[in-house]
Order: sequence, then structure tokens, then C-alpha cells
Amino acid sequence: MAKVAIIGAGFAGHTAAMYLGESLGKEHEITVIHKFDYFGFVPSWVWLGIDAVKAEETCFKLKPIYDRFNVNFVQGKVTSVHPEENYVVVDQANGGGEASVAYDYLIVATGAHMNYKATPGLGPDKFTESICHFDTAVKARDAYLQLIEKMKRGEKQRLVIGTGHPLAACQGAAFEYITNIHTDLTQRGIRDKADLVYLTNEPAIGDFGVGGINVVKQGGRIARGGDLIEDLMEEFGLEKGVRRGVKEVDEKKIYWEDFEGNFGEDEYDFAMLIPQSRGVTFPFFNKAGEDISSQVTNPGGFILADGIYGLSYDELVKTPDAWPANYQNPLFNNIFSAGIAFAPPGPISVPHTTKNGTTITPGAPRTGMISGVIGRIVALNIIDLVNGRRMTHRERMSEMLAVCIASNGKSLWNGQATVMIIYPVVPDHTRYDNKEGRDLFVTRVERGLAGAWLKQMVETTFMHKFRGRIGWQLIPE
Amino acid sequence: MRPTKLDRFKMQCKLYQFWRFIVLNLKILKAVDHSKRA
Repeated sequence: MAKVAIIGAGFAGHTAAMYLGESLGKEHEITVIHKFDYFGFVPSWVWLGIDAVKAEETCFKLKPIYDRFNVNFVQGKVTSVHPEENYVVVDQANGGGEASVAYDYLIVATGAHMNYKATPGLGPDKFTESICHFDTAVKARDAYLQLIEKMKRGEKQRLVIGTGHPLAACQGAAFEYITNIHTDLTQRGIRDKADLVYLTNEPAIGDFGVGGINVVKQGGRIARGGDLIEDLMEEFGLEKGVRRGVKEVDEKKIYWEDFEGNFGEDEYDFAMLIPQSRGVTFPFFNKAGEDISSQVTNPGGFILADGIYGLSYDELVKTPDAWPANYQNPLFNNIFSAGIAFAPPGPISVPHTTKNGTTITPGAPRTGMISGVIGRIVALNIIDLVNGRRMTHRERMSEMLAVCIASNGKSLWNGQATVMIIYPVVPDHTRYDNKEGRDLFVTRVERGLAGAWLKQMVETTFMHKFRGRIGWQLIPE
Repeated sequence: MRPTKLDRFKMQCKLYQFWRFIVLNLKILKAVDHSKRA
């Protein structure tokens, strides 16, 4: 009987657990270890942050799902991994004490650890809000609703939304949040009481950490997807603070450095800034009890996989195969990383260092869709290995599709969303003979009501899938 | 390239948006098909 342990039950871990449970659950031991007892649908937290959705609608309990899939569930926090002896130590929730979970195969799917400490003053425990976790999104909502009351009383408020670190990723979420705030304030009739500022470390609006999205327009012309985003921001009256890496936040101001190395500040009444992401926070120990984390993870805590690391950006652009394909750790072949937990070989956007030596570069985004795909690939490969076959599944981010739907309003009648379809996520100039290195038939940026329908469809079908309901396997990640 | 007046009309037109909804789904499915075979 094989034992498979999965750390994390987000998009990647939960997807892997469902595939493994369905194929191996009855005869083998599958165990999921997760900090919380629920699965949270992260994309909906943008709406939770403006009170457009009830908190309980964005989550569901994991245990009943795993019972159906013959998967064991341990709620707790992993405190260490012992890859030479194949076990994980867990500090169980609700005073359950320390437990040890043995494995033959380990999937690390811990998602992003929000490293608020990398920016002094950042985070829900300090001065800014965050919609990156369920509890912090609820707190952001409450702070936002208080702000609304002030605006209703006629007080003008300044809201700054964006990235809170020079290396932060996930600009799409910040962009979606600010456009939803605009729509919500407009519907409440108090838009004139708010100054909305989009503060970002992107080299240009519409970069989104993927180097921008250029698309084919009628007549075969190549158009910059960022222009559509800029147009939307102008229409919505959003102030732009582009090419800025936030260095510090205090009670009233956000301090940043821009690409040119100039320092500046922004005042705010409400700020939702996405922090730098880190990988795992637990250490890896060898048999002698020595910390060998540096052999398993990169300095950011992301698990090393089967990619090619250490290439310069110029070399990386020419080497799409540098991106991991099966997400297997090169040192410990029974450890796989899925979703945000794997170490990317570098950024997708062009890196930039200021004259003061500060690197301001958006991190490579790994959305729920990408995480789900990696979770499935890793699970299917482990199923192969358990059944005595060689691994047959692989997909690099330079072969992967991503769809990002940034809504502006939730209504299916007069809502809108900007749909960004990017294929592949990492440009592959060896496969696509164009300047963009992407399939320009599939890659699209467009705005309209169709996006709002697509967003609703994706949310409904994903929740159906993640609840393991009938036909869940047919729904793409 | 900024959206033209025609582009803005298309963003509001429900019939056109229904067509785009179908097209976008087909584009996604084309790429997903590759992914599912991975």
C-alpha cells in the first residue's frame, strides 16, 4: 500500500487530492494536511472585499468531500519535513498535538505565504488590508464598509490598491479589486467621494507579470492589450502609479521607489496592497537533524523542480524548456511541488534594477487555473508511479493556458469583465514564430458583458468541480 | 491601440456579447484540449 501526503488544500492540493482519491483512495493511503478545515475559492474574495458576496458562499468544508474520495484529512500546520526518512511533522489544530504523517510520495501545494514582513508597515496586522486570505478579506470588507459610511457622510477618501513590494505578483487581483470598488461606489452613488489609485510594480499597465498581452486585431494588426486596460482606467477615473516598488507603509503614507530610482510617497485612507509571496515556511531536515532546506527550496522558499535554474533573463527567454514539466524535485524524487509552491526559473516580465540597486519586477503569476493543472499533472504522475509505470504527464508553463477574468461589477445584465486569455503563459519563441511568442489565435484581451458571464460560469463550474460533484473530471482546471 | 466607437458599441451589445461568449469558450477549449492531453 502506497502512502501519499499532500500539504495544502488550495487549487493545486485539492485538485491533486481528488484525482488521487478517486484512483487510489480505496487501496492506498492519501492524506491531506491543511491549516484550515475549508477550501476557499480565492477569486471570489475580490467580491468579498466589497461585500458583493457572502463570506460563506466562497468556502466549503473539506472533510465531507474527502470522506467521499477516501482521503484522510489532517487539519494542522506542518512544522518540518524529513525527506530522507519520508515523514512530515504536523502541529494539529484544535489542540490535537504533534503528529507524524509518513509518505511514499509527497506533494507540496502550500500556495503562497504572504510575506507582509518584507515591507515594513504592510499587512492586516499593521496598516494595510489584504484580500489574499479568507479572514483578511473579511477584515478588508469591514474596513471598506466603514469607509463607505464616511463617504456617505460627505468625507472624501483616498483608496490605494495595488502591490506592496517591488517583487510582488498577482497584479490581476489588485486590478480587479479596484475596478470592482469603482463599480460598487458608482452604484452606491458616492464615486465622487473617492480618489482611486492603482499602485503597481509593473513596467507598464497591462503587464500583469506576464510581460504584457499583445493581441491580433482586425486586419492582422498587433495591438497592445494594455491599451484596453489603460482605456478602462481612464474611463473609470483611476489614478495610475506605475513602475513603483513599495518600500514602506506607515499610518498615513505609502513610500515607494520608481524605476528611475526616484523616491516618493502616496497618502491613503484605505490601502489594499499585495505583498511579496514566499514559498514554504517549514524547514527540511536530514537524518542527522541538519537543516537541508537550501537543497530543496530556492532562497524564497519555493520548491525546486525539474526546471533549469540559474539562467540569465535573456537565456531564459530563449529556453522555454527551462520551466519545469513534471514538478518533481531533482534531489528527492518522491517530492513534487504543485501550484505556487514550485520554484519558477525566473520572472516572465523583463526584470528591472534601479540606480539604487532595488529590483522592481513583477513575479511570475500562477493563477488558480495554472495551479489546478499542475495539481492534476502531479497527481496523474504519482498514480502512474504507484501503479508501477513511468510518469507520462507533463506540462510546462510555456505550454500552459491561463485565463484571467477581471470583473467590474457582478451583474449578469449590465456587469462587465476584462477577459485575458494567455496561451502559453510563458512565451515560447521556438514554437510560435511571432514577436510575442504566443498563439495569437487564442491569446485575447477583451472587455464586455461576455466576460461577466464567463466569470460566473467559471466560478459555478469550478465550485462544482471542487465539491467533487457528478462529472467533476470533465470540467477543465 | 485604444478602443474605437465601434468597439465601445460592441461592449454594450448583448447579441454581440453572446457571440463573443461562445467564441471565447471555444478558444479556451482549444487550448484546454492540449492541456488535458498532457
